[in-house]
Amino acid sequence: MTDPTTQFFEELAQRGHEPRLENASGSLRFDIANGRTTAHWLVRIDKGDVSVSRSGDEADCTIGASRAVFDRLASGRASAVAAVLRGTLSIEGDWRLLVLFRRILPVPAATTSTARPRSGRSRR
Amino acid sequence: MSDGLVQILDGNTFVVSDDRGDIEASLTDPTGLFSFDTRFLSRWVLTLNGERLTALSVDDLQYFETRFFLVPGTGTVYIDAKLSVIRRRSVDNGFTEELEILNHDEKPVTLVVRLEAASDFADLFEVKDALKKKGRYATRVRSNSLELGYERETYTRSTTITATTRAKVDQDGLTFRIRIPAHGSWSTQLNVTAELPLAVAGRAPRNMQRDLTRWVDAAPSLECDWDSLKTTYHRSLVDLAALRFSPPIAGGHSLPAAGLPWFMTMFGRDSIFTSLQALPFAPELAATTLRALGEWQGNSVDDFRDEDPGRILHEMRYGEMTAFEERPHSPYYGCADATMLYVILLDEYERWTGDRKLVRGLEREARAALAWIDDYADLQGDGYVWYRRRNEKTGLENQCWKDSWDSISYRDGKLPGFPRATCELQGYAYDAKARGARLARLVWKDPELADALEKQAADLKRRFNRDFWVEDDEYFALALDPDGRQVDALTSNNGHLLWSGIVDKSKAKAVVRHLIGPRLFSGWGVRTLAEGDGRYNPIGYHVGTVWPFDNSFIAWGLRRYGFKDEAAQVAAGVLEAADFFQGRLPEAFGGYERSATKYPVQYPTACSPQAWSTGTPLLFLRTMLGLEPQGEHLVIDPALPTKIGRLELLDIPGRWGRIDAFGRGRVEVDGHARRSTTSKRR
Repeated sequence: MTDPTTQFFEELAQRGHEPRLENASGSLRFDIANGRTTAHWLVRIDKGDVSVSRSGDEADCTIGASRAVFDRLASGRASAVAAVLRGTLSIEGDWRLLVLFRRILPVPAATTSTARPRSGRSRR
Repeated sequence: MSDGLVQILDGNTFVVSDDRGDIEASLTDPTGLFSFDTRFLSRWVLTLNGERLTALSVDDLQYFETRFFLVPGTGTVYIDAKLSVIRRRSVDNGFTEELEILNHDEKPVTLVVRLEAASDFADLFEVKDALKKKGRYATRVRSNSLELGYERETYTRSTTITATTRAKVDQDGLTFRIRIPAHGSWSTQLNVTAELPLAVAGRAPRNMQRDLTRWVDAAPSLECDWDSLKTTYHRSLVDLAALRFSPPIAGGHSLPAAGLPWFMTMFGRDSIFTSLQALPFAPELAATTLRALGEWQGNSVDDFRDEDPGRILHEMRYGEMTAFEERPHSPYYGCADATMLYVILLDEYERWTGDRKLVRGLEREARAALAWIDDYADLQGDGYVWYRRRNEKTGLENQCWKDSWDSISYRDGKLPGFPRATCELQGYAYDAKARGARLARLVWKDPELADALEKQAADLKRRFNRDFWVEDDEYFALALDPDGRQVDALTSNNGHLLWSGIVDKSKAKAVVRHLIGPRLFSGWGVRTLAEGDGRYNPIGYHVGTVWPFDNSFIAWGLRRYGFKDEAAQVAAGVLEAADFFQGRLPEAFGGYERSATKYPVQYPTACSPQAWSTGTPLLFLRTMLGLEPQGEHLVIDPALPTKIGRLELLDIPGRWGRIDAFGRGRVEVDGHARRSTTSKRR
C-alpha cells in the first residue's frame, strides 16, 4: 500500500483540472524529507489546470515537511496553517499559493457534524 | 486602553508601555511588545544608577513612533534634575529605541545605565484568559546581545536585543557604564527584534513615514467650519493607516485589522465593515479585504473551526494556542454575518469603483458565499439564517456582531436557546441576495441566477416583515428563538435592518421613531439595547452601551429610507462625542443619558483605536453629504447637522475619477430652511 503523501499527489495528478484552484496560477514544490532522502513533488497550476511531476525544479512557493507531517496533512489529520505556526511546515515564496492549495487538502471526516448541505431549496 | 499607557503600532506589531517607556507586565495585562499575537517582551525597565525615572512628557510623534522625556528619580521632588533622558521608540519587526542622556551640569558625570529585559512569550489568548505556559524558556547571553527564547516541541519564538554601543550583557538585561562630559551627551540605540519563522511573518520593510504621508495625501481632503470634525477626520485617516495589516498572504497589500490591543488580526466582519465605511476614501482596502477573505473562504465541513464550504472566516490568529490547536483560530469561521457582508461589500465596491475585473475574479467565491446562505445557514429549514456553534468548547456562542454571552435576550431579560436567528442576519441575507442578483446580471451574465436571487430576496422580505414585526410596539424583534417565537427586546439592530433595505416602507417611520426615541437614543448615539428592557445596563458591553460603528450604519440606514435629518442627528451625536476623545472614537461608550453626564463615558475596557470606530467618522461624512453612486455618477445630497455650516470633501475617488462634494448648512430664507448644494467633477 502506498503512503498517504504519494497517494495524494498521484490522485491529484489524475485530476487534470481542479475548479477550486481556478483563481490560482503558479508552481508549488513540496520537499518531503524521509530520513536522509528528500522526495520532490512539483505541482504546476494554470487557472485550475493541474500537473504533477517529481521534479526538483525551482517553484514560486516551496514547502518543506517531514514525511510524517505531510502524511498527516495528506490524510486530513492535521491543519496546514497550524503546522506552519508550529514550525513543522516551512514555506518560502508565494504564501498565497499555499492558502489556495489548502482548499484541496483533505479534511478530517466530520463524524460528529450536524452541518450538512441541504438538498434542494429551503421551505418558503 | 487604560489611562497612562502609551502605545505605538504597525500592523499587528505593537508596544504598550507606561509613560516612562517602561514595561512591567503581569500575565493578565496587555502591556509589552506584541507581534503576531505573541508577547515578545514583558519586562523592559530603564534605571540610572539603580534608580527609576520620572516622566516629564510623552510626545506621540506618529502612530509608530513616540518620544519619552524623563528625569532621574521618582516622586514629586526631582533628586537630580541635572540630567535628562530621552527615549525615542519606533515600531518595526519589534522596536528600535534611541536612548539619549544629556548632562546639563558643569561637571562630568559617571553613570550606570541599566535596561532590564525579560519575556514570558504569552499568547494573547493566555493574557486574555490568564493561562499558564506549557513550554520552556532559554536565555542566551552573547557579546553585546541578549536572546530571550521559548520552545515547545517544534514551536520556537525568540527576542533578540542588541545595542550599538558596548554593553555588559547578563541573563536579565544590559548594563552600560558611561561617563558624560560637562554639558555633553551620550546615546545608544537598542534594537529589539521579534523572531518568528519567516513563513509566519514574511513582511517587507517599508518607509513608514513616506507611506503615511502618501496614504493621507491619497484620501479626499476635508474643509469645514467645525474644527473638531477636521481633527477627527485626520485622526481617523492616521489610525486607519496604523491599523492596516499586511498578512503574508496579501502580497504586500493591506487590509484593516480589527483593533488594539486584542484584535490586531484579520477579522471577517470587522475588516468588511471598515472597508465599507472607508470606500469613498480608500477603496483599495476593500479590494484587499475581498481578495484575502476570498482566498481563505471555507471549503469543508470542520466542526472544530465551525467551517462550512463558502463561509467567510471570523478570525485568524498566529499564537501558540492556535498553533497547537488549543484554539480553533487557524482560521476560525464561527460567525454568521461575514459571508453575507462579503457579497454586500463586493457589490458596493463595484458601485463605487467600477472595478469589474475583481468582481469577475471573485465570482466563484461570491457564488459560494450566496450558496452558503441557503445550504448551511438555514439550520431550521425555514428560509432564515440561524447560528449554533458546533465547537462547543472554544467556539463562539453568539455569532453575530453582538457576540457577548448575554447580548441576545427577550424584553424581560431571559435568554433564548439555540439556534438563534437574529434579525440583522436576515437583513444582510436579503441585501446580499439583492446585490448578488445585480452582479449576476451585470457582471457574471447569469440572468437565471439573478432572477432566482431576486425572487428569494423578495420572498424573504415578505416573510421577515410578518414574522419579526412586534405588533404591539411597532419595531422588529431582535431574533427568533428555536421555536420560532420572537425574542422581543428593542435594540439598535433595527438600524441595520434599514441599512439592508429589508424593512417595508410602511414600517420605516415607526422604526425610526424608536431609533431616535428616548429609550434608544442617548443624545450621544443609539444604544445597543433600549433603556427599560430587562438586561439594559448603560455600561453593559452589548446591552446598553453606544457603539460608534453601529451608529454609522444606522445613519446609513436612515438615509436609505429618506430620513436625512435623523441621520444627521445621529451623526452629530457621535461626532460631538468624538471631540471628547481627541477625535479617536473608542469601541463603545456608556449609554447614559447625555443630559445626565455631559460627556460620553468610555466603556471600561474598550479597545482603541478600533478599526470600525476609526471608520465611523468616514461613513458619517458619506451620510451627511448624501454620497451615493448612481451609474457612472456620484449623487450628492447633503443634510448637515445644525452644528456645521459648511462641509467640503474634495477629490473623492471612484469610477467618475475624482469629484468634489460641497454641503451647506441650513440657511433661513424667507422663513424656510433651505440647503444649497453643488458638486464639481475634476
